Amino acid sequence: MKHRLLPLSLLLLCVTSLPAQELRKLPTDVVLVKGARPSASDTKTPLPEGGGVARDVYRNAYFDLTYPLPAGWIQKYQGPPPSQSASYVLAQLKPGPEFKGESKGTLLISAQDLFFALVPAANATELIEHVRDSLQADYKVERPPAEFRIANHSFTRLDYMSPLAQLHWFVLATEIRCHVVRFVFTSPDPAMLETLIEDMNRMKLSDEGDSPACVAHYAEGANVTYRVDPVMQVRRFNAVPVRLIIDKAGKVRHVHVISAFPEQAQSITDALVQWRFKPYVRDGQTVEVETGIMFNESAPPAKGVRPSPATTVAKD
Amino acid sequence: MTKRVVTLVLFLSLLFVLQGFAQIDPGLRGGGAGAGSPLASVAANNPITILSFFNDGKTRFQEIDSVSGTVAGEEGFGLGPRYNSRSCVACHAQPAVGGSSPAVNPQVGDATADGARNTIPSFITSSGPVREARFPFFFDSNGNPNPNSPNGGVEDLYTIAGRVDTPAGCTNSGIGQPSFSLAVATNNVIFRIPTPTFGTGLMENIDDSTLLANLHAQSNNNLGISGSFNHNGNDGTISRFGWKAQNKSLEIFAGEAYNVEMGVSNELFTQERPLPGEDTFNNGLPAACRVNATPEDHTNFNTTAVGTLSDTVQFAMFMRLLAAPTPSTTTPGGSASIANGRSLFTAVGCASCHTPSLRTSPSRFTPSLGNATANLFSDIEIHNMGTGLADNVGQGGAGGDQFRTAPLWGLGQRIFFLHDGRTKNLLAAIEAHESSGSEGTIVEDAFDLLSTSQKQDVLNFLRSL
Repeated sequence: MKHRLLPLSLLLLCVTSLPAQELRKLPTDVVLVKGARPSASDTKTPLPEGGGVARDVYRNAYFDLTYPLPAGWIQKYQGPPPSQSASYVLAQLKPGPEFKGESKGTLLISAQDLFFALVPAANATELIEHVRDSLQADYKVERPPAEFRIANHSFTRLDYMSPLAQLHWFVLATEIRCHVVRFVFTSPDPAMLETLIEDMNRMKLSDEGDSPACVAHYAEGANVTYRVDPVMQVRRFNAVPVRLIIDKAGKVRHVHVISAFPEQAQSITDALVQWRFKPYVRDGQTVEVETGIMFNESAPPAKGVRPSPATTVAKD
Repeated sequence: MTKRVVTLVLFLSLLFVLQGFAQIDPGLRGGGAGAGSPLASVAANNPITILSFFNDGKTRFQEIDSVSGTVAGEEGFGLGPRYNSRSCVACHAQPAVGGSSPAVNPQVGDATADGARNTIPSFITSSGPVREARFPFFFDSNGNPNPNSPNGGVEDLYTIAGRVDTPAGCTNSGIGQPSFSLAVATNNVIFRIPTPTFGTGLMENIDDSTLLANLHAQSNNNLGISGSFNHNGNDGTISRFGWKAQNKSLEIFAGEAYNVEMGVSNELFTQERPLPGEDTFNNGLPAACRVNATPEDHTNFNTTAVGTLSDTVQFAMFMRLLAAPTPSTTTPGGSASIANGRSLFTAVGCASCHTPSLRTSPSRFTPSLGNATANLFSDIEIHNMGTGLADNVGQGGAGGDQFRTAPLWGLGQRIFFLHDGRTKNLLAAIEAHESSGSEGTIVEDAFDLLSTSQKQDVLNFLRSL
């Protein structure tokens, strides 16, 4: 440290003798000092936050989702990092300079990991019903939560509006790998929103056939046959949600630390890759299983009713 | 007139007309300050003598500090050896004692007050905001910021060298000003402006469980918002003061400011403060510039009653007992516009972070602080605000782009907005909520979907606060 950091007086002497053009400016509009952030034990396994917009299509390998953007729409700004409750902003879209229509609007594509939701909801319908129940009196429900099929997939749809703002929100939510993936359309023009929803038929969504089975609480109790607790270097106060994929032999194949500081993520990953589990059996065959676990016990526990194993085993 | 001139005149006329229809920030709300008074129960002197504590704290808050207490008209003691300004009220002045940055920046005069020989940094101007400067990163030996070496500490603007009450041995060669020109040239400087302190006693008295319940209640939103809390490293409870909610209590807030902004050591921060980096090499601050015995501010054992308490304790008490700002129901734009704006503010999602009100816990200080509704328009959470607002300073659990939801009460009387005071325009401040990595993008987009008159209602509402 002593060698790396110069006393200011010495630094001033050095700098005054330097040609100005040799100074390097820090980049602007870049977050160099990051807070809690996601990380993973490998770079090959797709992550929920790993999707992106390219050539007018939003693609997300984790959710096996391909969504062609409405004509003229763009993603101007990327979303924030995943949160401590494993809430993801997957994409934020709106009409760009090439948009030909008259009406404006926005589309938020988000995901909530059901293992870590802070509200009592075990599936997409319950989460959307919670939205409906939480609406303030200023809003008017135009279409109560109900099943809605689009792109050969089952969604829960809720439409509501603000009579004062003259804005409409059309929300469609579905479950993928124990996440609720949500499309939130907002516009003053409900006809345009209907068109955008109809346009969702161009979207491709997986039937989860190749995904690991997702099972809540699998990294607990007798399922864990060998466990090493992470050694935390410093005390922090953030909750650390983690997803892991366990292979057919009961070994940890992949660790996704959804939100943590680097030293937390390292400690947790180093420990988790040593864990061993009972192989997960479905229909008489061992299959890969994906589950979640919350670290950092000093953080306030999530109060939501997390899905129970019996209700969250995908495709079972 | 030529055809080109006619076209230009028509264009300018059209621009003028269009401007007339666009929503505009009404600017500073006229009328009385609506802030700066004590809480109702404090004004009623309940419990008995509390009003004298408030008044004494207010007096001390306005005292100008000199180095050794020997300058006529400057009652305070302990300034420096480094400082940003010379009294609390110098920075916390608008629209009343305890507020935020005033219209005329006192730091211009502070540079040379009482014989000091400081160079005024380029970012300090008479009409600009009061600013605290931080270098996000240390410099390397070539004078370049080193992104692998985070700094983030406050770089005080000025030193006491040359002042009439500074020993001759304390010179600028011993404690020179930081190289602000280099920091500006390399983009390695960020700014913070003073946060207003009205109503902060109410904020201090909101229980953690109330904040957590609010976080849970807001978590299932359709806006892409998901905040968290900064915590105090000592006891783990939620901290809540400062731009990144890095300070736990008003006493910590006051003690740190006294030490960092004015250079006064105190019972919470007991040593004179070197600059970041100065504390890790050589011998710290030169002995010639450590003028007074420490702590310079302390409990006064040779007096009684209010006078016994230290300045720090009394600064905190003054802030704690300040009433929340009083909003206007009619100005600007009239009551209908303000009421509409308030509803629209909620409808588009602003209230998801700018929580309109939270309840306080029972208080042992005074009745007005207990079981009260704090209309603060903040959830006291820290949120990712994206690349546009990032300052690359980490504080506690807050990263370089995370900021506490700024409480909006009193906004109608604020001159400068955002953490660095980059704008006086409320509309620009709203638009700054949108950038890559920001939790505010979708809400800002929803605001943009409103009609011009609806946006004007929102602006009027905000300026009514």
